[in-house]
Amino acid sequence: MVNFTVDQIREIMNKQQNIRNMSVIAHVDHGKSTLTDSLLCKAGILSAKESGDKRMTDTREDEQLRGITIKSTGVSLYYEFDINYNNVKEQFLINLIDSPGHVDFSSEVTAALRVTDGALVVVDCVEGVCVQTETVLRQAMQEKIKPVVMINKIDRAILEQKLDGETMYQKFVRVIDNVNVIISTYQQEDMGELQVQPELGQVAFGSGKECWAFSCSKFAMIYAAKFKVEPKKLQERLWGDNYFDDESKCWRKDSEGASGKQLKRAFVAFIMDPICKMANAIMEGNMEVANKMFNVLGLKLTQEEQKLNGKHLLKAVMSKWINAADTLIEMIICHLPSPREAQKYRTSYLYEGPQDDAIAQSMRECNPKGPLIMYVSKMVPTSDRSRFFAFGRVFSGTIGTGQKVRIMGPNYKPGKKEDLFEKVVQRTVLMMASKVEYIPDVPCGNTVGLVGVDDVILKTGTISDNPESHLIRSMKYSVSPVVRVAVKPKNPGELPKLVEGLKRLAKSDPLVLCTTEESGQHVVAGCGELHVEICLNDLEKDFANIEIIRSDPIVSYKETVSATSKIVCMAKSPNSHNRLYAQAEPLHEGLQNAIEKGEVTAKDDNKGRAKILSEQYEWDKDDALKIWTFGPDNSGPNILMEKTSGVQYMNEIRESMESAWQWSSKEGPLCEENQRGVRVNILDCVLHADAIHRGGGQIIPTARRLYYACELTAQPKLQEPVFLAEITVPIDSTGGVYNCLNTRRGVIIEEEQVPGTPLSLIRSYLPVAESFGFTAHLRGLTQGQAFPQCVFDHWAILNGDPLEPGSKINELVLSIRKRKGIKVQLPDLNEYLDKI
Amino acid sequence: MKFLALISGGKDSVYNIIRCVQEGHELVLLVNLYPKQIGIESDSFMYQSVGTNAIQAIAQAMDKPLMTREISGTPKITNLDYQSKEEERIGDEVEDLYLVLKEALTQYPDIKGVSSGAIASTYQKLRVEDCCNRLGLASLAYLWNQDQFSLLDQMLHNNMNIILIKIAAMGLTQKHLGKTIQELYDYFKEINKKFGFHPCGEGGEFESFVLDCPLYKKRIQINETEVICHEENSFAPVYYLLIKKYELIEKN
Repeated sequence: MVNFTVDQIREIMNKQQNIRNMSVIAHVDHGKSTLTDSLLCKAGILSAKESGDKRMTDTREDEQLRGITIKSTGVSLYYEFDINYNNVKEQFLINLIDSPGHVDFSSEVTAALRVTDGALVVVDCVEGVCVQTETVLRQAMQEKIKPVVMINKIDRAILEQKLDGETMYQKFVRVIDNVNVIISTYQQEDMGELQVQPELGQVAFGSGKECWAFSCSKFAMIYAAKFKVEPKKLQERLWGDNYFDDESKCWRKDSEGASGKQLKRAFVAFIMDPICKMANAIMEGNMEVANKMFNVLGLKLTQEEQKLNGKHLLKAVMSKWINAADTLIEMIICHLPSPREAQKYRTSYLYEGPQDDAIAQSMRECNPKGPLIMYVSKMVPTSDRSRFFAFGRVFSGTIGTGQKVRIMGPNYKPGKKEDLFEKVVQRTVLMMASKVEYIPDVPCGNTVGLVGVDDVILKTGTISDNPESHLIRSMKYSVSPVVRVAVKPKNPGELPKLVEGLKRLAKSDPLVLCTTEESGQHVVAGCGELHVEICLNDLEKDFANIEIIRSDPIVSYKETVSATSKIVCMAKSPNSHNRLYAQAEPLHEGLQNAIEKGEVTAKDDNKGRAKILSEQYEWDKDDALKIWTFGPDNSGPNILMEKTSGVQYMNEIRESMESAWQWSSKEGPLCEENQRGVRVNILDCVLHADAIHRGGGQIIPTARRLYYACELTAQPKLQEPVFLAEITVPIDSTGGVYNCLNTRRGVIIEEEQVPGTPLSLIRSYLPVAESFGFTAHLRGLTQGQAFPQCVFDHWAILNGDPLEPGSKINELVLSIRKRKGIKVQLPDLNEYLDKI
Repeated sequence: MKFLALISGGKDSVYNIIRCVQEGHELVLLVNLYPKQIGIESDSFMYQSVGTNAIQAIAQAMDKPLMTREISGTPKITNLDYQSKEEERIGDEVEDLYLVLKEALTQYPDIKGVSSGAIASTYQKLRVEDCCNRLGLASLAYLWNQDQFSLLDQMLHNNMNIILIKIAAMGLTQKHLGKTIQELYDYFKEINKKFGFHPCGEGGEFESFVLDCPLYKKRIQINETEVICHEENSFAPVYYLLIKKYELIEKN
């Protein structure tokens, strides 16, 4: 254990080649946190007294209790490693972020990936690639993160499943193939070769629990002396169809030896067989065989270790022979990029400004003397939960205590003052899991926490010292807050505390939405039942510190249209000197998704976007050039079009028309839910000649009524959110799963047997509205044997006409209006529609 | 110089008279144009129509002669600077102003100036100037282009008692009718920030009526009103106050 000081860390921060920013990502329960712990054991970390405790990075009580990670936690590790194999050890700083695997917290993963350059993807060798493995890999590809893979829990395959070497090899091949397929599906073109290759040492195999792991490089080093070849040459033969013929002492590409003997592939003969032999000998207590192997391998046991037996002895021996931390560190240092390398290709994705300005250039060079730019990816509460550290990554320049900086929120536009603050950084700190250490300044390529800026940053932001700076791209989350719960204080007098607590909660979680309905009701929205539950516990215990009453979960709906408005709608301004004409029509479903994924945005270059719209979404090319904006928040899946011809002053009322659009797309006419998939075409306007008579006060309300009229005449519909539910269940209990899904409007889309297990994997669509209590219900019907994972998948149109009194959908709309405290009766079209 | 004042009953036209008097000019005549249905909103681009039925009260309060004319025209030429051929102008509501000014000049030949309360509406200002130019009169518009909040401050500072008699903008509702500017001042600031509301109502957001000011020899007391809904819609309804009975009260 190397202990080291802040000064030493600060020194390594300057050696950008020797820094690795990485996150550990995986499906829930595939062993991230345990594996991270084995890394911590080998590393020098600050004030390391408690290392060896289980799950260091799970710092919260509920995390320890549930045995899952909820918040991503950062920790800086110090290693000395001989990277050039010339017996000179260099110092390395690994900033590692452990992130949650449960789908409900995948926004934490996004935040973790943003500040890192590489990812260790952990896959359980028994369960294989799961739904969340795919999700996190997709996120990593989107953020331009390089992956390496750890195939975990091999001890189970050896000891529980008793698989032979060749079967295991085939299993590993399948896992790696699956990972590589996902990588090539989602990888961005300019990233180069990202496929993970075991023969290059980019895949490790092992057991986090027992602290051992190996890669082909590791065994190549072990055998290099015996074969008298370069380790690099040997490692390529330790994977794939390479066979060593013992009799003729030569390598072959097929499994038949010179004498016709069946050969085992090198991976099995030289790696898996010895490991299995060792494991089985120890577990069976066959010490004669075991001791012989210790001698051959040159393993010396201490006196205490000699007294161990069974699993304990196995762990001691294996971690001495092929130590997990050593293998992983080598893999991380050799195959994950340094910030200097990574920022070369990440800048074009991360920086929204021109790629040739001073900041972009300095980001690509990772220049600590260049202009400052830092992205704050999350707000971390202080230990007393009263304030927040702004945690993020410096991409260019250096940030330090006392520095005056510009803080730009996600709505900042270059040259404008909106969402822009100037502040002095009170302190810069190193974030070490649950502890912080003060540090005078931090150069680019590193992560840092800031004190004293939490009052102006809501969740994320860009920090710079250059007035010309544009934003670092906002993060896109793969989940959306579709489950909502209304809260109120048990003691009504504590409402102010609740409101204050909600503000803090909103800051602490990247995704949670805290809103207030018109009725005064406070609503917390998260992406699943568990997420909301954790948020509410935080609210109750930490942020508000009061008892709260929770409503049953509420589902978010979207308002949409299913046809073109049956008439051209007109609305007159209050002073009746301006008239606006428009029609609504539905947007292509694929386009709605593309906008939500950020593939088509309001900020895109007009011509490029027009090309995509006309080629992929059947838009008229001229139409596609007439987009004014998206909405809500200038980014949602609703489009406002300017299709007038020859109308003067259109540009002067644009701002008012757009601000009405943001408003109406956020709160639709049916029940003030967000709109989705609505396009409004402004067809004509009659405007007063004098600008003073067509200001915001006249145009905004008129435009809003116009949009509402358009939508109400275009066969409005509701969309409901639908989960993709992946359920693993023993084959003989599938009946309970069918029953459960049947009563909840679930639709099974796929069912397959997990190879090599008695398990069945059922994929189905489950409306979020039917998902509350799903897990408990499902377990009840399957004697607790089914494990579901629900992740938001898509929006589905609810059949039925919301405007038809008495219909089911109409009742739903009215009940939402009632809950929100708006007039229960649906608005009459004439309220929005004017006649000349 | 001697001047006539165009008045609608609203705060701007009255305050401009105060400014003219402060600059040393002498008020000799009040002029008002009213719609066919007196006191009822007519959607004119030029003239305030709400409150014109009580215009007599202002003349009495100021103790000045009043000349009135019914508006016979409609907004025909709606470009910004009233550019048009002579024959096109016939029947435009602006020509009613021209004719009443011409009539005033025959009765009071020594009038040299015309006072109007234009602040920010180029549309209205250019039309008043057009009529003045044709008759060789000077346009007196001291409020032109001034900051609207500063104008409100000045009016309050000059002890003007002003109430809202029409509302037509987002942020204003029926309940604001009859309230004084003093009461609404802070609220105006708020909706100005939110929706770009013009605090002097120059975009047609509201219209007002002056109950008292230093030029009044008696103050006006309203005894009976009726709230009339001109247009009901969810975001920016249009309501106005019809003054039915009023009386003049001696000032102490």
